[in-house]
Amino acid sequence: MATKASRSAARVMIAPSVLLLLGWMVIPLALTLYFSVLRYNLLMPGANPFIGVENYTYFLTDPAFTDAIINTLLLVGGVLTITVLGGIGLAILLDQPMWGQGIVRILVIAPFFVMPTVSALVWKNMFMNPVNGLFAHLASALGMQPFDFFAIAPLASIIGIVSWQWLPFATLILLTAMQSLDSEQLEAAEMDGAGPLARFRYIMLPHMARAITVVILIQTIFLLSIFAEILVTTNGGPGTASTNLTFLVYAESLLRFDVGTGSAGGVVAIILANIVAIFLMRMIGKNLDT
Amino acid sequence: MARAISTRRMALNTAIAWTIGAMIFFPILWTFLTSFKTEAQAIADPPVFFLFDWTTENYTTVQERSNYFRHFWNSVVISVGSTLIGLAIAIPAAWSMAFVPSKHTKNILMWMLSTKMLPPVGVLVPIYLIFRDLKLLDTQFGLIIVLTLINLPIIVWMLYTYFKEIPGEILEAARMDGATLRSEVLYILLPMAVPGIASTMLLNIILAWNEAFWTLNLTAAKAAPLTAFIASYSSPEGLFYAKLSAASTMAIAPILIMGWFSQKQLVRGLTFGAVK
Amino acid sequence: MGRITLHGVTKNFGDTEVIRPLDLEIEDGEFVVFVGPSGCGKSTLLRLIAGLEDVTAGRIEIDGVDATGVPPAKRGLAMVFQSYALYPHMSVRKNIAFPMRMAGLDKAEQNRRIESAAAALNLTDYLDRRPGQLSGGQRQRVAIGRAIVREPAAFLFDEPLSNLDAALRVGMRMEISELHTRLKTTMVYVTHDQVEAMTMADKIVVLQHGVIEQVGSPLDLYREPRNLFVAGFIGSPKMNLMTGEEAERRQAATMGIRPEHITASPTEGLWQGTVGVSEHLGSDTFFHVHLDGRADPVTVRAGGEVSLHHGDMIYLTPDESRIHRFDAQGMRLA
Repeated sequence: MATKASRSAARVMIAPSVLLLLGWMVIPLALTLYFSVLRYNLLMPGANPFIGVENYTYFLTDPAFTDAIINTLLLVGGVLTITVLGGIGLAILLDQPMWGQGIVRILVIAPFFVMPTVSALVWKNMFMNPVNGLFAHLASALGMQPFDFFAIAPLASIIGIVSWQWLPFATLILLTAMQSLDSEQLEAAEMDGAGPLARFRYIMLPHMARAITVVILIQTIFLLSIFAEILVTTNGGPGTASTNLTFLVYAESLLRFDVGTGSAGGVVAIILANIVAIFLMRMIGKNLDT
Repeated sequence: MARAISTRRMALNTAIAWTIGAMIFFPILWTFLTSFKTEAQAIADPPVFFLFDWTTENYTTVQERSNYFRHFWNSVVISVGSTLIGLAIAIPAAWSMAFVPSKHTKNILMWMLSTKMLPPVGVLVPIYLIFRDLKLLDTQFGLIIVLTLINLPIIVWMLYTYFKEIPGEILEAARMDGATLRSEVLYILLPMAVPGIASTMLLNIILAWNEAFWTLNLTAAKAAPLTAFIASYSSPEGLFYAKLSAASTMAIAPILIMGWFSQKQLVRGLTFGAVK
Repeated sequence: MGRITLHGVTKNFGDTEVIRPLDLEIEDGEFVVFVGPSGCGKSTLLRLIAGLEDVTAGRIEIDGVDATGVPPAKRGLAMVFQSYALYPHMSVRKNIAFPMRMAGLDKAEQNRRIESAAAALNLTDYLDRRPGQLSGGQRQRVAIGRAIVREPAAFLFDEPLSNLDAALRVGMRMEISELHTRLKTTMVYVTHDQVEAMTMADKIVVLQHGVIEQVGSPLDLYREPRNLFVAGFIGSPKMNLMTGEEAERRQAATMGIRPEHITASPTEGLWQGTVGVSEHLGSDTFFHVHLDGRADPVTVRAGGEVSLHHGDMIYLTPDESRIHRFDAQGMRLA
């Protein structure tokens, strides 16, 4: 189906989406790039002179930047490890025959729908609080010293919370992938003498490989931008112990009002995200036939 | 062909799965229970599970002290509003790409997706300044615009994958039957796409409801949706667990229910068709 | 009325020529079948006539009026699609009513036409069902019903029977033929199945690579294929084609002989061979005979109850008056 009439109608109908997204992408991006080469602080009104790469030098040589990069990598890496491994396990478990499968599924998926600020606050206060949290009660019941999660291991605690939020996502997608595995393939492998471990290694895992990659890439995109969880639990601290790149840029621009440095940081964040995005886009593109 | 499995194996699977499921769900259950306790019971050691005096006073207190429903309403307006506007813009676009594909279609789709990969923090500064100058900070309208734009790629993609499943021949048949473009979309495409559009809408409302970067950065007191309102509990005074739980329960309950209905669509919407 | 004339119609998809410049005349009331292997451009040609695709060059006339730029809805044609393309969210009645609703016909007239189409197509009991609740054959009839009520200048069929099982296909073939006899409306029918073409058509158009290889009545094509392609394509089982010595002896690059024009004898004949696989159809039996010194077996038709066995020695004699001769370019020699 393609006549000139329908093609021109199609162009008209696609135009609003394209123009809006183009505006949404191009205008702020151009401004970010522009601001990033200016000395521009909201607290110091007046001229905003051009200073070349000074903001970048400042941002990249700031010790907080190194910390933020390391924290970002730890956060993304930690959450990915937990959710992917946990997700594979849960997907296989939930794919087994059992009573009340639908209900278990619902229970497992639930955390994904909890808004980030709620889950962060609930975990921070009702579970991880060193005095009144459930974990503290549990520790004292066992005769142990309560653990002050956010003082001693702020980043690890955030990794825990974020993993709880994203485990359902990984599980759901991997479970979908598992369910598309033809059970005859498993039976054939069994006939060929493959034990449960061999079936997992040679049939299930390769079948899930694609879905695992998708989970990793998509989660990475979202995890690079983790913000609310940090804001309401540690505010990036103590010091910069739980500051990731997103939070650092936020702090520069909206707490210290240094638009120039904040923008330079934004550009760095875009470049980092694009490295992942390229791989993700390539995978999605392969699967797309128009 | 599923094969028969021993009852013992079933029981074992069931026990393991339910235990893990209960553990993962526990924080939500605990929040729910705590919302009906007094503040003293909420932090009691040892903790009380079901045997406490159930009270709904936390819910009334939360509403009285902070006008909870105003924030709830903000969340509703922003998430539903941005979703409806998004659908209105995306339906024609998805129609064109699904049924009148050109050699650019794939590139357009991929490019739309790439806008979703843009880290929000990369454009935080200019958006903040533009909003400040246009007096859009802390307005429902401003947030609706932003959320429409950030979720537009997902809406287009989801609709596109649903529309692709409608055989083009049916639309051609309508055209042969004398339907104009308008009747073709109105009488044939939309009725057939209702399930797809509904699940796109559902997923998008969920995503918009829970969005916690722009809502936190672009609102203060007036237009703050629940994400931002709840965040204000991060620096509390006095005993507040029960009230936090009440506020949280109301914030997540509607979305949890919607989410359970849209499990399947979630996979499709968030993986852009890469996993089916 | 439904006379369709194509003048120099051409269609390119990008750089690919799908239809080379092509002229064709479809007379009013004719049953024309486009047949050819997949990818020959037959469906594209039908869609060009329907207006679902734009022609790259050339002109399409319907009843003498230039319809080249006219949108599909305004051409007065009705189409039955391969997938039937029924509207799944509408009842059978609403499906059939849809084109009339689009044309703004009044309700009474709509109902009158629906009732009469339903009666003719045995659909009266199913009018309130959804397409999903119907069998393949019933869906096919709904699609035809939807086409009939428009009272079109011509019907276009795009491989309408390919989704049906073999038994239903034969039945529907008859129904469509009967419909044509009754309505006397022009029908253009696309199929890859030469049996459908042979049994239904007044006129067959054989296409290959976007080029018309031959146009003619089924028997014309069967008796006098214009070239090797048509010779091989029309007729089942296929015509036996031979090159080499036997062909040269008859002053041709290739010679062809149909299975029914060969006489088999256990004792004497022109060619000697051994019996290979045999297919017993009851009414007929087809033997594949391996001639000495030839790679491809020759297919021979015999009566239904001949008993020859695998490995038996056999002699074959072609009916010399029925031999088709082709030159090196594959064109028929007079």
